[in-house]
Amino acid sequence: MSLLDRAKRLAGLPVRVGERIGLLDYVPAGIKAGEAAPTHVFRWDLDKTYLRTEFDSFGDLVKSAMEEASDKQAYPGATALLRALKQDGHRVCIVSGSPTQMRQVLVAKLALDGIEYDEFVLKNNLKNILRGRFRSMRAQIPYKLPAMLQSRIGATAVAETLFGDDAEADAVIYCLYADVIAGVVSLADLERVLTASRAYEDDAARILDLAQRVPKGNAVRRVFIHLDRRSPPLGFRRFGPRLVPVFNYFQAALVLYQDEVLTARQVIFVALEMLDSGQYELGHLATSVQDVIRRGRVARDTALRLTEEASEAAKSGALSGRSDLPPFERIAEAFRERVRSLGGLEPFKFEPMEPLDYVRLVDEEHEQRRARRKQGMG
Amino acid sequence: MHRIVVDAMGGDHAPDEIVQGAAEASLGLTGAEIILVGDAAALGRLLPRMRHDGARVRVHHAPTWIDMDEKPAEALAAKPEASILVAADLVARGEGDALVSAGNTGASIMACARSWKLVPGVTRAALAAVYPTELRRGEKDDPFSLILDVGATIDATADDLVSFAIMGSAYAKIVSKNRSPRVALLSNGTEANKGPAAVVAAHAQLVEASEINFIGNVEGLDIPRGVADVIVTSGFVGNVVLKMLEGVSETVVRLARYAHKERLAWRLGLLALGSAIDQLKVLTDWQQYGGAPLLGFQHPFIKAHGRSNARAVTNAIKLAHKTLAGGLNAEIGRALAELDARNGRRKQIPTEPARS
Repeated sequence: MSLLDRAKRLAGLPVRVGERIGLLDYVPAGIKAGEAAPTHVFRWDLDKTYLRTEFDSFGDLVKSAMEEASDKQAYPGATALLRALKQDGHRVCIVSGSPTQMRQVLVAKLALDGIEYDEFVLKNNLKNILRGRFRSMRAQIPYKLPAMLQSRIGATAVAETLFGDDAEADAVIYCLYADVIAGVVSLADLERVLTASRAYEDDAARILDLAQRVPKGNAVRRVFIHLDRRSPPLGFRRFGPRLVPVFNYFQAALVLYQDEVLTARQVIFVALEMLDSGQYELGHLATSVQDVIRRGRVARDTALRLTEEASEAAKSGALSGRSDLPPFERIAEAFRERVRSLGGLEPFKFEPMEPLDYVRLVDEEHEQRRARRKQGMG
Repeated sequence: MHRIVVDAMGGDHAPDEIVQGAAEASLGLTGAEIILVGDAAALGRLLPRMRHDGARVRVHHAPTWIDMDEKPAEALAAKPEASILVAADLVARGEGDALVSAGNTGASIMACARSWKLVPGVTRAALAAVYPTELRRGEKDDPFSLILDVGATIDATADDLVSFAIMGSAYAKIVSKNRSPRVALLSNGTEANKGPAAVVAAHAQLVEASEINFIGNVEGLDIPRGVADVIVTSGFVGNVVLKMLEGVSETVVRLARYAHKERLAWRLGLLALGSAIDQLKVLTDWQQYGGAPLLGFQHPFIKAHGRSNARAVTNAIKLAHKTLAGGLNAEIGRALAELDARNGRRKQIPTEPARS
């Protein structure tokens, strides 16, 4: 390391310490000068999306904060999916509502799982407490939206895919983000949404500034909502066909295969990770296929094509060393049987949708959160 | 993984309540897969409205179904693709492990009898029902005793009654966690020589059967007392007894309502007993129990009440899962094989449901 590099590193130390203890906000560096812009950015939430986290009660929160990296559990298939995306050279940005003080343990967990990422933003709740901004501690839109806008300004991609969950307002935030960068939401409308979200005035002004500066484009191809709470999928239909609620990561992989983001071989690896977890059997995966077909999220032909391609991939040695699996033809037949057993069922078709009323969605989200709190569910 | 096939179109509140019950069961039974058989379009519309696990509940299309008031044999002949037939066939073909239906009882039993085989050693299948009793039993402090047969077959031979006793005992061991259930024959007296010939002959065989805890004969009045944990009788008698017990319960409720209206003192008395009555309601809540098992076939079948709501359906599915997880049929087969090895008996006779 040259003297200049060492000096730069030393100069950056107070900032890193400040970020670590939560006194300074972490601002993602974006792409370096001369580096090619990413083609596809994948933005991931962490808790309840990648990590199996319980924070429905105060006890859960304490337990989660005290956990070692090795105690934290990723959802089956999520690690294989994230690895596949990174291996294909896509940009992976993590925006989590966990506090900055958790950075060390979360970084260690991602390292244990072999997950590489380009950005990792955590919520600076210490700063919120010190500034007496207790509303910001729970607020999701005034935290996540600017974090994602800032990230896009730093590294603009043609395509984006977002992963969240049904525990909080991810569906609303992600669709709002998608519509803001697509230029569908005017600044005046965004201001109304921020008011409904109870954003502090200076935060709202900063978000409006970011929204103005962010490179526009209809970039968000997909929004995946992991149904951690097993919420009824119908509740997400109003967000349109772009948003896909998934019960597990095999379903997300199937949709990404349909979108030509993943190959059949990569889908197999997601499936294998799920089988290895002991929480899923082949029948569960086949049933997951039927579920997304029934809901009109994946075409029958796509599922059958995947079966054929996966079979070919298996023959070419993609599953070498996996003697514990039944013959691939039997697996393929289970998948085909699930498709056949739907009879002549017409999958759900989406009607052209009206623009989303974000103010109403935010109000509804607040209502639901209040109801959950009353029921002792967070 | 246990695959539980559910006739989604059978029952007074089908398919809505059946799908809701299956959806709820999918959240709790992680080691199971639930297969809803019925109109795929209707089921596909309902499932996304409910909290469920999309990896653990699936749909199998059946274009028609049998209504509650249809004549079983005629309806089955006229509708070969009825949901109950498709569901029973899925289990017969090994694509499911157990069946749950809240639909037409006769049609359900006949559908099973058409394509399912009996457990080796079983001569006829028996439908079992539970009845709340004064005494409790087993590790779970179960307030229900089991009565079988309550209508799967009209008449029963001595051999049939003996296999009913073995099946009932195995069921009580596995489901009620009762290590040594007391098994009794229903008769018109406690003496061994009382009752019709089949009952007397069965008594003689059961006294020698070391596989079960046979306590002799009981009379009708012993049923609500809970003298026995498993009460064995023919389908005809069992059906009459069950209906009469249900009728008595309903009459008691009606009398209480009458008393409530009639005099202030009686009303106050009922109010004072309020919590005890509520407790009784909890104990005797059939929805909590799930359904009546059809015993004797190589696959478990749980017949849920025709009026089943979502909760009752969820519990019926859990009951099916419990019988699979507990290895009920293996236990029945083992006990009967031991008995047969000692006695050397019987040939299999097809099941014909009693009209109810």
